[in-house]
Amino acid sequence: MSADPTGLAPFSEDRAESIGMIRDSAQGLLGADMARVRKLRFTEPGFDPALVREMGAAGWIGLMIEEAKGGTGLGHAEMAALAEELGRACAPEPLTSLQLSAALLAAAGHDLLPQMLSGEAIVLTAWQDRPNTLEPATGDGPRRFVPMAAGATHFLFVSGGNLHLLPASDVTLETEQRQDGGHFGTVRPKGALPAPIATGLGEAIAAALDRAALATAAELLGGMEASFAMTLDYLRTRKQFGTVIGKFQALQHKAADARVQLSLARAAVEEAAFELDEGTGGPAIVARAKARASDAAMAVQQAALQLHGGIGYTDEYDQGLHLRRAMVLVPSFGGAALHRARFMALEPETEDA
Amino acid sequence: MNAITPREKQDLNLLPDEEFRQHIRSWIEANYPAEIRNPEKRLHWDENKPWYMKLAEKGWLCPGWPREYGGLGLSPAKQIIWTEELERWGCARTNDHGIVMLGPLVIRYGTEEQKQRFLPKILSGEHVWCQGYSEPNSGSDLASLRTEAVDAGDHYVVNGQKIWTTLAGDANWIFLLVRTDKEAKKQEGISFLLVDMTSPGITVRPIINLEMHDEFSEVFFDNVKVPKENLVGQLNKGWDMAKALLSFERIYLGSPRQSAYALTRLRQLAERMGVAEEPVFAATYAKHRCDLEDLKSLYARYVAVLKAGRPLGADVSQLKIVQSELFQRITETALSIAGENGALFGPMEGNRNLNPGALYIQARPTTIYGGTSEIQRNIIAKNVLELG
Repeated sequence: MSADPTGLAPFSEDRAESIGMIRDSAQGLLGADMARVRKLRFTEPGFDPALVREMGAAGWIGLMIEEAKGGTGLGHAEMAALAEELGRACAPEPLTSLQLSAALLAAAGHDLLPQMLSGEAIVLTAWQDRPNTLEPATGDGPRRFVPMAAGATHFLFVSGGNLHLLPASDVTLETEQRQDGGHFGTVRPKGALPAPIATGLGEAIAAALDRAALATAAELLGGMEASFAMTLDYLRTRKQFGTVIGKFQALQHKAADARVQLSLARAAVEEAAFELDEGTGGPAIVARAKARASDAAMAVQQAALQLHGGIGYTDEYDQGLHLRRAMVLVPSFGGAALHRARFMALEPETEDA
Repeated sequence: MNAITPREKQDLNLLPDEEFRQHIRSWIEANYPAEIRNPEKRLHWDENKPWYMKLAEKGWLCPGWPREYGGLGLSPAKQIIWTEELERWGCARTNDHGIVMLGPLVIRYGTEEQKQRFLPKILSGEHVWCQGYSEPNSGSDLASLRTEAVDAGDHYVVNGQKIWTTLAGDANWIFLLVRTDKEAKKQEGISFLLVDMTSPGITVRPIINLEMHDEFSEVFFDNVKVPKENLVGQLNKGWDMAKALLSFERIYLGSPRQSAYALTRLRQLAERMGVAEEPVFAATYAKHRCDLEDLKSLYARYVAVLKAGRPLGADVSQLKIVQSELFQRITETALSIAGENGALFGPMEGNRNLNPGALYIQARPTTIYGGTSEIQRNIIAKNVLELG
């Protein structure tokens, strides 16, 4: 599945092997059965806590946490590959948010970390107070858009550079259904915020949010791959006017354009992961990858729906699951316009550029 | 074969990459004529020749050819550095059809006699080649070409017409795809023929394009006698040979350099027009810039394939689509902010960096030449996505 015909991913053989293993492990655990995904939609908590524990056992929650702290100690490239598989399977488990929380608990040196890494504690980070942002909120007001919040055992409440740990029983939670059948939570502390478990973590929080943006971009990539594969199958089998519709040039060109967007998204996401691992890239290249993945996802999902015709508009057909997941992931950790503006601010042009 | 002695004695492949880069960079900077840096139009032979001959004298004219044929024998990785350095210094594309198209084809398919006869003359600059593929009724459907070569015993007689022949007026030799079997399936009746442009019966008529430049020509063949030894490869096998060389063209045409150049010009224009900070422009500009950087990321993947010595797949077509369409969008944005300045034929305010009208026109043919965007999409659909 990793074998994108668009050239080589720029990884050495060792890395390619470790990435391949992550993908295999992910495909084994997540499966390709959409019935599971469908059953969980529009329910709470909307994901499978037992599967989260399996993800913990597989080392996914602490994928990038150093081994000395109980993590798996892998890099961005493995993280992106895993997120891509999650997207391909359309899994509702909030792995990116769990990885974010694990990074913050590790930075805080908190002793809840082992329970979190095993998937026993479901700690979700409540960091934003408005839509379309990558800036952590300050103060103690409500935190919004916490994914799959109804399943949390704890919330990690971010206020500027401070982290407060709140058991779920200490917050008021309001949920809103999302297009993909999951939900967002609005989290309000019941009383005054408890003393922070760590302070002055501004940089660590920014870095963790950035990593979450890259994981989200990779998850979008997986969703695109899944929808596009379904679309190609459909174009090769659906017949109209006495022939398979994939023979029609108007449809071929639409499919080619989708493929171009997919290739650009893969190039940007994999290059970002590679450069972060090499220490040659930073937030700018992540911003570019999230911007591309977001726009490409909307374009590819729309093309997939259009190429399917009416069947694509039915809830029983799986492509719609990916389309509506994309609607959730595209604005998550910043949408395309936000990230393009960030990229421009982070990487000023030289006169020769 | 009898080896052709390369003029460059040193095997530059042995240099570490960075040292190689510095070595060629300092030579290029010292020897490239300043007056033809970053030309706006494709240069003619009289403008190009001094640089071309310097390369020839240095022995650096054919970096990709094996050393036993007089080239530099550079590895793919070193060739990429070579190209990057030429682009960095704004070096003009030369009359390079003999170097990049014909030479490699003769090396691969030519006879010993053909190699000895033609390769040294390319290396010395004595033969300047042009490419006769397209015809008035065979553009995108190139395999339908009808210029024919009829067997007349010890020679062929060629009749027909080629078009869009780049820099034909500068060339003294032309390589042709010609029909040698009218009964066979269209791809199977085509042969590859080398023709001396001074032969009786050849007429070159320049075509003035929208840049008001005579880059292309029509070439007419009226009972032109061509010796039989000028056939390369087997009779009726010319199509496959020509096709084998096209992926080079697609990666070359997918290089981000045109879009990068246009974006720099757009930025300068926006500053001059006072719109650089306007939110609507800034958002559009950011989109172009991210598109360019993503194109570079995609390009880097194909370069990595070449560096690993692996063949490029059919999906290299997407690079050309992305590059040419981005180049056009950038120039369209430039036109949209330029006002009446965009209607000028020449640069505005006498500043050759501010030339939005010309830049817009310059970007138009990129989605047409080298296989139109539509043909590239057909290739992706059929050969990559396997949609029959």
